[in-house]
Amino acid sequence: MSEADFQQLVARQYAPLYRFALSLSKSEADAADLTQQTFFLWASKGGQLRDRSKAKSWLFTTLYREFLSRRRREVRFPNVELDDAREEEMSILPNVNALDGVSILQALQEVDEPFRAPLTLFYLEQFSYREIADLLDVPIGTVMSRLSRGKAQLRRRLLSQQEIADQKIVSFQPEKPRESHG
Amino acid sequence: MDNREAKFILNVYRPGGQDASDPRFSEALDQARRDPMLERWFSESIAFDTAMTEKLRAIEVPPDLRENILAGAKVSRPLRSPFIKWAIAAALISMAIFGSLIWHAARPAHLAGWQSQALDVVSSLVRNESSFDAQSHNADQLLAWLRANHAPAAQKLPGNLGKLESIGCKTFSWNGIPVSVICFMRPDGGLVHLVSANVPTSSARRPKTAPGFVRQGEWATVTWREGDTTYMLALEGSRDQLRSYLL
Repeated sequence: MSEADFQQLVARQYAPLYRFALSLSKSEADAADLTQQTFFLWASKGGQLRDRSKAKSWLFTTLYREFLSRRRREVRFPNVELDDAREEEMSILPNVNALDGVSILQALQEVDEPFRAPLTLFYLEQFSYREIADLLDVPIGTVMSRLSRGKAQLRRRLLSQQEIADQKIVSFQPEKPRESHG
Repeated sequence: MDNREAKFILNVYRPGGQDASDPRFSEALDQARRDPMLERWFSESIAFDTAMTEKLRAIEVPPDLRENILAGAKVSRPLRSPFIKWAIAAALISMAIFGSLIWHAARPAHLAGWQSQALDVVSSLVRNESSFDAQSHNADQLLAWLRANHAPAAQKLPGNLGKLESIGCKTFSWNGIPVSVICFMRPDGGLVHLVSANVPTSSARRPKTAPGFVRQGEWATVTWREGDTTYMLALEGSRDQLRSYLL
């Protein structure tokens, strides 16, 4: 791949890759490091990829595997029993537009890791659900199931964020007009 | 389809997105059109998803990230300057001359010559020093091409190998033994290679039918025989990784 092609690839993919990394790693520094590491791996190994149309999938897959590999080194995943991790459907939907980006990201980062990766990929709109299944190496049904449960978790956390935000709004009593003396 | 099933499917639907024309959604979408309660849930869900996408896209990326990637990648990429090219070429020629003198002595006795040659062929393909004879992401097409060209070709791909996307194939001859290589892309971005050879029945180095694992440098290999064809599967990685493609 030529220098110009590589620069184009970076220009197209670094922002969505960073956002995906940020949802996974919960730290801006780690997300930036993961994104850079992914492109460095591409620079050293990506030349093996003959089909350049697969570059985007390669980058997201590599970033996700790099994240998992780092996580394994740091701490073992809690054994989340996915089949039992049921989330009740929310009858009230949070008002996403009323929340700021930080609150949205925080809520997303609080979603259990197995649900978080497909959820972020879904919202980034970079991949079809079939591609998400390939990228995470799980069946299509599992992607649907994890998205469904992930959304339920996300909504619950966003509602909590919304409640906290609402509590911060202090209502002031309108000042009474001063009585004039004399 | 009941509403619960419809919701399960529609949760993945993005209007106008890559999946919009997927027939898997059509029944669930029809159900939503018929059922006002489901339709209301669906429109609210879409509005929620759209807002989430907009918020996620608005997350700012560190201003220096792009420059850092480009600067870091320069030192990570293989060196390609003209001087370095000549230096590498000179080093390779020297290695070929002097290395070949000690190669035969140092080579593990249990890996046959055509197998070592196949690993060299694969390495040169990976380094872009040679090119494939045929390229396709469909391994069946490559197998058909090999058969049409009277090269050794597997009747059936072993285990999980058939699930991988192929890249291309190459044929060569080693001491009169016809050999073919098919390269596959692994999900982790690495490669795995299936080598097929028509080793003569009389050959003393003809492998057994049971798979035999051999490590050579970074290469993990497994060799077995089916009928007149001998196969070797090879990857740069562990024996366990290799075994997973035989299952």
